Amino acid sequence: MSYELNRKLCERLPPLQSGAPIDGITAGIVRGAFETICYEVATHLGRSASSAIINQSNERNASIMDGQGRLAGLSVGIPQLLFISPMSVRYGLGFREADDWGPGDVFVGNDPAAGGGHLPDYNVYAPVFDDAGEIIAIQALQAHQGDTGGKDPGGFSVDALELFAEGMILPCLKLVHRGELRRDIFEMIVRNNRFPSFRGDIMAMISATQRGARSLGALSEKYGADTLRAAIDCNIAETERRFREEVIRWPDGAYEAEVFIDHDTVGNEDIRVHVECRVEGDQLTVDLNGSDTRPELVCVWNTFSNTRGYAMAQLASMVDPSIPKNEGLFDAVEIIVPENSILQPPPNKPVALGAFHPAVEVGEAICVALSSILPERSSPQVYKLGMPNAVVGFDEQGQMWMDQGVDVRASDASATQGIDGWGALCSGLGNLILATAEEAESRFPVFNLGREMTTDTGGAGRWRGQPGTRNVKQVLEPVTAVAWMVSKKHPLRGLAGGDDAGPYENRFLVGTPDEYEIENAVAAQLPANAVLAYQYGGGAGFGDPLLRDPEAVREDVLDEYVSVKAARERYGVVFEGSLEVLDLAVDAAATEALREEKRVARGAAE
Amino acid sequence: MSRRVGVDIGGTFTDFALQKNGEWVFEKVLSTKEDHSLAVLEGLEKLAAREGVNLRSFLSEVETIVHGTTVADNTLIEMNGARTGLLTTEGFRDELELRRGYKEDIWDVRLEPPPAIVPRRRRLTVPERLRADGSVAIPLDEKAARAAIRRLGQQGVESVAISTLFSFVNPDHEVKLAGWVREELPDVDLSISHRVMPKAPEFERTSTTVVNAYVGPKVTGYLDRLTGRLREAGYARELLVMQSSGGVMTRDYLREMPVRVLASGPAAGVIGGAHIGSAKGEPDLLCVDMGGTSYDVSVVRGGLAPAEPGWNWHHRNLVGLPMVSVETLGAGGGSICQVESGVLRVGPESAGADPGPVCYGRGGDRPTVTDANLVLGLLSDESEFAGGRFALTRKGVVEAFERFVAGPLGCDVEAAAFDCWRVVNANMSQAVRRLTAEKGTDPTELAMLAYGGNGPVFAAIQAQELGIGKVLIPKASPTFSALGALVAKPSIDEERSYLAPVGSIDLERLRALWSELDARAETYLDAAGFGPERRVRRYQANLRYPGQNWALAVEVGRVEGAPDLSFAKASLGDELAAAFHERHRAEYGHSRLAEEPELTGVRLLVSMELEVPAFAGGAAPDRGEPAAFAPRRANLGEGFVETRVYRGSDLLPGHRIDAPAIIEESFTNIVVYPGWCAHVDSVGDYVLLRVGKA
Repeated sequence: MSYELNRKLCERLPPLQSGAPIDGITAGIVRGAFETICYEVATHLGRSASSAIINQSNERNASIMDGQGRLAGLSVGIPQLLFISPMSVRYGLGFREADDWGPGDVFVGNDPAAGGGHLPDYNVYAPVFDDAGEIIAIQALQAHQGDTGGKDPGGFSVDALELFAEGMILPCLKLVHRGELRRDIFEMIVRNNRFPSFRGDIMAMISATQRGARSLGALSEKYGADTLRAAIDCNIAETERRFREEVIRWPDGAYEAEVFIDHDTVGNEDIRVHVECRVEGDQLTVDLNGSDTRPELVCVWNTFSNTRGYAMAQLASMVDPSIPKNEGLFDAVEIIVPENSILQPPPNKPVALGAFHPAVEVGEAICVALSSILPERSSPQVYKLGMPNAVVGFDEQGQMWMDQGVDVRASDASATQGIDGWGALCSGLGNLILATAEEAESRFPVFNLGREMTTDTGGAGRWRGQPGTRNVKQVLEPVTAVAWMVSKKHPLRGLAGGDDAGPYENRFLVGTPDEYEIENAVAAQLPANAVLAYQYGGGAGFGDPLLRDPEAVREDVLDEYVSVKAARERYGVVFEGSLEVLDLAVDAAATEALREEKRVARGAAE
Repeated sequence: MSRRVGVDIGGTFTDFALQKNGEWVFEKVLSTKEDHSLAVLEGLEKLAAREGVNLRSFLSEVETIVHGTTVADNTLIEMNGARTGLLTTEGFRDELELRRGYKEDIWDVRLEPPPAIVPRRRRLTVPERLRADGSVAIPLDEKAARAAIRRLGQQGVESVAISTLFSFVNPDHEVKLAGWVREELPDVDLSISHRVMPKAPEFERTSTTVVNAYVGPKVTGYLDRLTGRLREAGYARELLVMQSSGGVMTRDYLREMPVRVLASGPAAGVIGGAHIGSAKGEPDLLCVDMGGTSYDVSVVRGGLAPAEPGWNWHHRNLVGLPMVSVETLGAGGGSICQVESGVLRVGPESAGADPGPVCYGRGGDRPTVTDANLVLGLLSDESEFAGGRFALTRKGVVEAFERFVAGPLGCDVEAAAFDCWRVVNANMSQAVRRLTAEKGTDPTELAMLAYGGNGPVFAAIQAQELGIGKVLIPKASPTFSALGALVAKPSIDEERSYLAPVGSIDLERLRALWSELDARAETYLDAAGFGPERRVRRYQANLRYPGQNWALAVEVGRVEGAPDLSFAKASLGDELAAAFHERHRAEYGHSRLAEEPELTGVRLLVSMELEVPAFAGGAAPDRGEPAAFAPRRANLGEGFVETRVYRGSDLLPGHRIDAPAIIEESFTNIVVYPGWCAHVDSVGDYVLLRVGKA
């Protein structure tokens, strides 16, 4: 990897200028068709893949690039990851001649040094050509693989010191040549993966991508290749224009924020992500200088491609949601990522866990920085969980099984101005369908003891964060459990005077004399019947809790989102009656008096 | 004389279809929102009058009344169902609220939470737990359970849902809980998950059970009231009710699972479409229904509208029971056209029926799709509209387009209207593509069947965009759902969970599950008075590859008459595997012969194959082109040209109409786009055929 290559792969590229006449309406129709094709591709994979993380968690993202590798359209998926295919595809395009690209070819790449995210994220892509042999568009499909053939099952190592430990690295590999599967190549990558289901998954990715390529070919026949190119130009320009129209309404200025990760996997503390968002007219600059650069940090390295994707996912949530998602977003924003930092690491750093942290803190910092000027659209698009508690074991045949732990939970569902945090996760993860107990227990030797929301773990605020759940799971056979614990010391930040979310906490061997709390990271050997308890952090609060409608607090107490005690302490609300007999009523006078007292005390403290 | 009546309640009209011997009669009355049964009686009275008899003697001769109702949908839209409580397994109080993480829009942080049917204070848990094999891990705590039940009572619940983990494997705990609820709270309604939807996983089952509990009292109350009124009026037989699965069943059957009537109106329309399409020799159909606010699309294969259980969201609640899948897009005649940030959008906001499009002259001032069609000449202000109830007006239409579309886009009004027409067309074809993608269906293999007030205006151009060469537009289309209810078969479609690799399935257990489903079906069909002779049973198994999340149903036995499990031999496992590999290849383009598929459950579909007049029609001897009346200037996608206009009432079987042309029917306008040709078949229905490249 080189920083120079990164710069080249994210360069702003000029319009295609095919010369075909185009109008906004036709361009909009082409955009809709692209989104529909991506939806078809993602649906095809979701329905036919075997890995729970793809078919149950929906971690699959389809997008379409133009002939230069500019993002031209995408489907539903996970916003952060929908933005990372272009750099991988652009890398491949650089070898178009050398690798003999042609119709019917399908490629795969996952190399962080070649525009990729982290190794589990396989980008499979297929170019579509016009009659003149020029590329019209490239169908890409990105999906998270359950294993990468690295030193630890599952692709996440809490103690990896270099990329090579994390698995097989694919810069750009041709899987299908002119419609024919390259058997030797295919067998090699299948052999380098622990999961027997990988063969079916990668086949499903290939066939889904080919399907997308066919649909793009049909679209080109209908409209003509040059019209599609003109439509792509038009849509990208349109998105840039609409994004800039939003920015120009924001007050000029520099908006700074700094958020921290508790520690890396070996205990180096207070990993810093710093951002300055500069607004000058219609230009937004996101400058991540000031973020951590300590070379000794372990596992908290996020690839450059991911950093841009996570930044853009947060920004896209802070503007009109109807703005089409394409390269125009990147054309509208300058994202400055310091070299040699945790957000653009030196060559061959391990990067698997970096896609959790510091990746999400990029979004969180942007959200905090802009919350003062965009209160109505400030909601951090994050998952602050360190990583899910994955458990790995082997059955009698020696076959590996893994419960990835992407279970039903509530975490980080934050409030925004006017709306309490709700549901399980932030809105961006609304397509990540969480695993159920009945399915998991029918497949794996695990037993879920419960996952209810814990009272008072949502950040207090005029609008309240959703509490986090405490997920308690028993393993019925000996396992290796992998965990990385953060967001206890530095929980998700509250906005506009709202409280921070409740902290995360993770305990193993619960209920035994050997019970312990995970401080940093572990890959622990646990005996049969061991119990793991993961308290997820809640959502952050928004606005001053003393301004929350006391009646809303009463409702919260009746629903046990908030305790009577916290109602008094955090919200300054005093009740008559009791929760037990359900005759709780707000004592208006006492509430006003207490709130006044708290305001005065707060004033004195400042 | 044998008479059968289908009734469908819609938002504006209640529709009736009377079938007597080989003949059909249709009727419409205004719906009565305060008590829908009033409109039902009014319409029946009208039908009786048309038959020249009084209501009592008419009803005494009616063999069956089949009814489709929106009561459950309205309850969820208005959120005025029963005050509901939930009893569930300790540790799993919040599954309902967490929705497995699902949110409807991943880009919009301002999406509001769905209104809660059961707030957390009425979701109470009980110490108990079963393992995946149904064995008891934590015994049921009666004392704690009764305390929880009393706490629900304290909160005035009218309906209680019970859903505990793995109850579909072993219902014992749920049965006991139900007994205690009956003792403690004798007046509440009960919905028990292993009765409502006995299958994994817990969120889907719990949500379905809760929705059942919430809409239940309203639905059963309404059906009881209607039955009472019908009985008073002289109808002594069973009332059959349309289900979302596309079959009909008795009130008794639905009493325990009233949620099964949810979304049954659109399902009935599809069933009607499937019936007519098959009769006309087109068993593979794309059914499109474009009304005032929405565009409903569904796929019929082999004359059947498959009902699929699973990830079905309705009014922001998941209902996992089999439903005829209908994709709904916010695109209808009332969809509003507007320019936002320089981009033209059509829908999903709708002017509805009131005030409606500008051209309704009822005070609407935002341009809509119907207004665009008027500007384009596809509709006219000189003829009758909506079955002759009123005429359209041009007043204000041009101004509205000028202000909201043409001005901001910087074009003239006719160009603006044409852009609106293009955009709504593209939106609709993309909705179709999404649906067919979900189903793995190639639209070019289908014929289109169009209905609804606006469907036929766009039908041929939609078909063309999707590569479809034939469009059917039946005259009965205004009352399609009523007709569908009438031709729908009495049927019971239920599933049971059973997870096991196909190689190690316990044949006895499999047979026992199918037998249990058979017995249930027998009980209800016998009670409804259906004879045993025309029963068709489809024994199905749900399978997937290990690790997959979506199962595919494979049919393993089709039996007519009495239950017969003789197909379930020792070789069944191998047969299932082979059939599944084949089905997977057909669906997803590859199979994995090296992997052993796993069974996730069994399903039994029992239906009564009652004879329904075919309603077929066929080609009529060519009568050539009829005489057109008053041609007008219209843009049928290729610019404005003088276009021939025909009156539907002037047309006879055998007539042929070449493009470009417009046929003004009493219920809609049929546009014959360039490259198409319309024929009137022997019963007066329209068939549009692609004749060349446009």
